[in-house]
Amino acid sequence: MKRKLVSAAVSMVLTAAMLAGCTSTTKEAAATEPAQTETGDNTETTEEEGDSYRVAYIARAQSDSFAAWLANEIQTAADKYDDITVDVFDGQADDEKENAAIENAITNGYDAIIVQPNNGEAQRPYVEKIVEAGIIAITTNARIDGIEGASSVDADPYEQAAVNARAAVEEVPENAKVVVLNGPSGNFHAEERRKAWQAEFFDKRSDVEIVGEQIANWNKDEAVQYMEDWVTSNDKIDAIISMNDNMAAGALEVVTGKEEYKDILSYGVDGTAEACLLIEAGTMTATCLQSAIDLAELNMETVHKLLTGEETQIDTDIDAVFITKDNAAEYVDMYKSRGLIEQ
Amino acid sequence: MKQKFDKSNQVMQKYSIFIILFAMIIICSFLNKNFLSVNNVTNIMKQLAVGTILAYGEMILIISGMLDLSSGAVLALAGVFSVNFYKATGSLVLALLLAVIIAVVCNMVNALMVTNFNTPPFIATLAMQMVARGIALFYTQGQNINQLDNYIVFGQGNIGPVPISIIFMIIITIIIWYIMRHTRFGRSLYAIGGNEEAAVASGINVRKNKYIVFAINGVLVGIAGVLFMSRVNAGLPNGAVGYEMEGLTAAIVGGTSFSGGVGTTLGTLAGAFIIGCLNNIMNLIGVNSYIQQIVKGCIIAIAVIWDIRSKSKKSAKVILVEEKEECK
Repeated sequence: MKRKLVSAAVSMVLTAAMLAGCTSTTKEAAATEPAQTETGDNTETTEEEGDSYRVAYIARAQSDSFAAWLANEIQTAADKYDDITVDVFDGQADDEKENAAIENAITNGYDAIIVQPNNGEAQRPYVEKIVEAGIIAITTNARIDGIEGASSVDADPYEQAAVNARAAVEEVPENAKVVVLNGPSGNFHAEERRKAWQAEFFDKRSDVEIVGEQIANWNKDEAVQYMEDWVTSNDKIDAIISMNDNMAAGALEVVTGKEEYKDILSYGVDGTAEACLLIEAGTMTATCLQSAIDLAELNMETVHKLLTGEETQIDTDIDAVFITKDNAAEYVDMYKSRGLIEQ
Repeated sequence: MKQKFDKSNQVMQKYSIFIILFAMIIICSFLNKNFLSVNNVTNIMKQLAVGTILAYGEMILIISGMLDLSSGAVLALAGVFSVNFYKATGSLVLALLLAVIIAVVCNMVNALMVTNFNTPPFIATLAMQMVARGIALFYTQGQNINQLDNYIVFGQGNIGPVPISIIFMIIITIIIWYIMRHTRFGRSLYAIGGNEEAAVASGINVRKNKYIVFAINGVLVGIAGVLFMSRVNAGLPNGAVGYEMEGLTAAIVGGTSFSGGVGTTLGTLAGAFIIGCLNNIMNLIGVNSYIQQIVKGCIIAIAVIWDIRSKSKKSAKVILVEEKEECK
């Protein structure tokens, strides 16, 4: 009996300690972040009394850093509209969970549902159900094409990579050896970006040799490992062509500080805080901003127009802003103002 | 002549996993001229460090009849807290210590659930996996932590020509080998994993030992968390997903038996090297990602089957010899 009591007491203390840890970090995060979201099936509401439109935002995966950033920015952007409240749900990078979240949102009678698909084709029938239920449907990052009655807000993944590729045509030296880091197989943005590099760069520069190409799943740690092996197996690498910034930064981690790679070129997409810092420092060459801030604001503007009846269907894209050493400081400042880069 | 043949056969059986590794190294060295270069061997070891350290944790848990499915998530949790703590204090030692403390606390909760509440380790550590990953994501709001400054010394620094991560791996290998081979505690773990009831009957404090095993696993996961984050120069709350499987795979390939009571430190090290060499050579020769997965799965299966078969031949031979002696 005594032993059981001791066990129970110890478990309570440990649980309390973990919860205390959570509480303090929440406060800390609240001080630096403009908005809060929760993972799991729970929702968090920015609701205030008197709001008239309820919007459900179904995020692809709150564990994905871009998706989490976008979810935070959606809530920040929603704060600017007095008549809109947003509840954020997490698809947990799982089609089944994301589809269940869409069904729940339909049942809960939201006025609009914004879906950031985990896999466009898997979510397509569920977005169609939103439309059938007479609820406003928006797909974002990436859009699901061809659903009658649904709207979409996205960045053009082809163009995001193409702006880099067009610059690379001029910048990459003759007979260069390059490595390519791809996003997850089947991912719309990953595939469109790779297509853009093929059409805008590799097809125009037949002298360039790809000495390594792998799927690093958007992950920095996987890119580090691939780059370490490529550096070993090749005498020289002139450029890193990456479908996102995370992987480009990982590959650069391997060669930074090595004299023989001081002129290496590297291209990414996303315009993350880290990439902007690297470009400003001259370590990375260029990226294309996929701004979660712009995407969130455009989503809110779109949903507001649809909810108020100003428009009935909208398909729109944010701009593909090309970031190089010339304008990186501007974006570093933007991240500083958001607390994502230390002052 | 027959005796000589039997002896060499015994050596083959005892060291089967090392023979597989040796054969693999020979084949790889023919496939790519850079494979045995100092740079590449260093690369392989750097790439292996985190996985091998996690594998030792899994190994001692499996030997004791348990396992840990939370090590990847706890690694991320300990890592992101450690990174932020370093940014706040500038102390590498304290940042390392904090990572270890967090990972040990998580493992103490695992131990509590397993030993005091009789929760199956699979379920207890699965629950911890979710909790730890959730806290890491909640704490960082899913964002990477950048600008780590000198924190990267753990994963990217060198002492002389030797990378610090490799030094960590070597020291930990020696400590774990010593614990498992030369201490009463280590031997008691084999007894617990082999037959827990018999271990209790023989006077081994099973509950206490399970707590210690989880604590050791916590220390290893904490260190792995620091090495991982410093290697990638970022605090990645969504990093190291699935690393517990890498650790488990290395331990199992290295001859650790899932039924408990069997396994060696050097076998696990060999298992980690087999997987590391496979990954490395396939990248060096430019094998397609999809094919890599197929090849890796097949070679791991073949290696384990060969190892199990050679060991079962050995035990069958021992039983036969014992039966013969009994007949006499």
